[in-house]
Amino acid sequence: MRVSGTQAPKHKDDAALVARIRAGDQSAMADLYDRYAGVVYGVALRVLASTAAAEDVVQEIFLQLWRNPQAFDADRGRLAPWLAVIARNRAIDFLRKRPPEDDINEMPISTGANLEDAASQKLVVDKVRGVLSGLPQDQRKVLEMAFFEGMTHTEIAGKTGDPLGTVKTRIRSGLLALRKVLA
Amino acid sequence: MSAHPQFAEALALYAMGSLDDPQELAALEAHLGTCGDCRRELEALRADTALLALSATGPQPPARSRERLLKAVAAEPRVERRNPERYALGRLRRRWVTFAPVMVMVMLAVFSILLWRELRNTRRELRHTQAQMEQIQADLARTNTELAEAKMVRDLLHAPDAWPLTLVSRKTPPQPQIKTVYSKQQGSLLLMASNLTPLPENKIYQLWLLPADGSAPMPAGWFKPDGKGNGMMFHKMSAGVIAKGFALTVEDAGGSQTPTMPIVMEPAG
Repeated sequence: MRVSGTQAPKHKDDAALVARIRAGDQSAMADLYDRYAGVVYGVALRVLASTAAAEDVVQEIFLQLWRNPQAFDADRGRLAPWLAVIARNRAIDFLRKRPPEDDINEMPISTGANLEDAASQKLVVDKVRGVLSGLPQDQRKVLEMAFFEGMTHTEIAGKTGDPLGTVKTRIRSGLLALRKVLA
Repeated sequence: MSAHPQFAEALALYAMGSLDDPQELAALEAHLGTCGDCRRELEALRADTALLALSATGPQPPARSRERLLKAVAAEPRVERRNPERYALGRLRRRWVTFAPVMVMVMLAVFSILLWRELRNTRRELRHTQAQMEQIQADLARTNTELAEAKMVRDLLHAPDAWPLTLVSRKTPPQPQIKTVYSKQQGSLLLMASNLTPLPENKIYQLWLLPADGSAPMPAGWFKPDGKGNGMMFHKMSAGVIAKGFALTVEDAGGSQTPTMPIVMEPAG
C-alpha cells in the first residue's frame, strides 16, 4: 500500500491544483486554502500554541507556494503531508527564533494516504490519533517533544531523565507504529 | 526494511531534525551519501513524521485568515510577472549552482586553449628573434674582423719602422710591381701588387720573408691577382723577425712551406 520516493503516482487533484497556481490562477489559491489551511494551521497551532503566530505561518507558507509553486513536485508526493511537515518545520523555526528561510522546503514527502478531501483527511487523522493514544504515555510524550517542540534527543533525555538510548528507541518505534496506520 | 540496523535509530532522529550529536550526524550523513536503502528509509520516516503532524489537524483558522491570504495573493501577482528580476535571479542561482562545475570546466578549457596558442606564438616569436640575434652576432663578428684588419693596416702604415719596398719584375716590360709594408714589431705585412702575370687556375703567388740572419725563407702569405694582374694581401706572422728582404715565387694553390724556384720578383736595387 505504501508508495515512496519517485515511484509515487501522480495525484491528479494536487497536480491540477498546483498547475493552476503555476499558471497564475488566483482562484486556485482559494481552493488550496480551503483544502489544506486546516492542516497547516493545526500543526502550527500545536507547535506555537498561539493563534496569531499560527495564522502567520499559514500566511507565509501559502504565499511562498504562490510565489514559487515549483517547490512542490506532484510526482513525488501529496500536498497534505508535504504542507504538514513544512508547517511543523517553519513553526519550530519560529519557536526557536531561527531566521526563516527564503524558500519553502522542497523535501519530498510520500505517503500512500488519501488526503485530498476533508473526509479522507479525517479518516487518516483519526487512525493516527488512535495509534498515538495506544502508545505508552512515555513513548508518546517523547515523540511529541521531539516533533512538536523541536527538542533534540539530548534535550529530551535531559528533561525526562531517560538514557539517550531509550529516547532514541522510543522515537523510532513510535514512528514505526504510525507507519502501520497505512499498512 | 533493508536499511542498515546500526543507523536505524539515528535515521529516525534525523528525520525529525532531533539528532544533535555532531559525530553521529556526520557519520550518518556520510553513510546516506552512499546507501540508497537508508535514503529510502529516511524518506519513509519523513512520511511517518507527516502522519504525526497530521494528528494535529482539526482546528480551523479564523475566516479573516482566508481573506488575508487572498488579498495578499491579489495584491501580489506572481513574482515572475511583478518582479521578474528576483525570480530570474532565483532560477539563475539554482542553474548556476547546477552548471557551475560545467561552466568552470568550459572556462578552463577555453583558457587553456588561449594559453596554448599564446605560448605557441611566443615560442615562434622567440625562435624568430633568436635567428635575428644570431644573424646580428655574425654580422658584428665579421665587422669586428674587418675593423681589426683595417686597424692593423693603419698601425702598420704608421709604424715608425714601417719599411716600404717596391719589387719589380726581373724583365722590364710589362713592369709588374709589388709594394710591401712590413713591421717586425707587429709581425704584420701589407702587399699591393699590380701588372702581375696572370697565373693558371691551380697556381698562386707566394711572398717569402728573407730573414736577415740568413736562415731559410719564411712564408709571408700568398695571393692570387685579379684578371688585370692586381692584388692586395695583408699577412700576420710572428713578430720580431728581422727581414733583409722579400721574394715572390709561383706556388701551387694552397701555398708552400719552401719556395719553388725561380724567384719571380725581388726587391728592386
